[in-house]
Amino acid sequence: MRAKVYAELPAGYDDLTPGHEFPPVEYVLDEASVSAYVEAVGAAARLHVPPLAVAARAIASLGDLMEMPAGTIHASQDFDFSALVPVGARVICVAKVLRKLSRGPMRMLTLEMVVSDTNGSVVQRGRSTVVLPGA
Amino acid sequence: MMEMPVSVGDAIPGFSREVVQSDINKYAEASGDFNPIHINEEFARTTPLGGTIAHGMLVLAYMSEMLARAFGEAWDLTGSFSARFRSPARPGDKLEVAGHVESVNNEGGIVRVTCSLTCRNQADEVVVSGEARVGLPVL
Repeated sequence: MRAKVYAELPAGYDDLTPGHEFPPVEYVLDEASVSAYVEAVGAAARLHVPPLAVAARAIASLGDLMEMPAGTIHASQDFDFSALVPVGARVICVAKVLRKLSRGPMRMLTLEMVVSDTNGSVVQRGRSTVVLPGA
Repeated sequence: MMEMPVSVGDAIPGFSREVVQSDINKYAEASGDFNPIHINEEFARTTPLGGTIAHGMLVLAYMSEMLARAFGEAWDLTGSFSARFRSPARPGDKLEVAGHVESVNNEGGIVRVTCSLTCRNQADEVVVSGEARVGLPVL
């Protein structure tokens, strides 16, 4: 199931500049998707969503926001968790370009993601640096 | 329940995990990340990596689970994590995740525990290195 996105996307790498904020992406962490995640990673059973399951969906939603060419890889990742997310919760992720670097064929992007609940309370923040394959 | 690692030098109980393509495929389905570098062997062979690799977030999930086992719900509620992906995790690799407590500080009624973490493969190469912080209430 794809997340709900609120604008015409995805944006191309060349269109992005530091400070660019993507439209919010909303998704539901339903029982089936959380169970699939728990099984895939061998996570311990919890009464709430494992925080990296929230993050994984947020990162995957970047593929709806910007062109991620095949072969894009993850270089670094930061997280800050600030609330437990109940199974079944609807959350909203807002991503922003923090840094963009091109050197020769290498293209890197650092993106910040803030995930909030439907009351606007932040449940986690993340920062991803990805390396895109050369054109 | 095991005792929490809350003194400098305490080891965080780690574990080992073999990377298998079927787990990578399951992770792709569960996360929605279908980048072919992870799931399409034919495509991945044409890249400089020479074959499929596990999602970095799958490896981080193993490390996060280690912290969840050590610190319980406090990890999920107050944890923070900075990780660098140093080398790819490939199907067939045997990963060892481990960590230890680097520092402990009492900050206004919360004990801030900072941990150093690594995930290594069977060749002792670092796959992921990182630092995690968790806040625990003072008892």
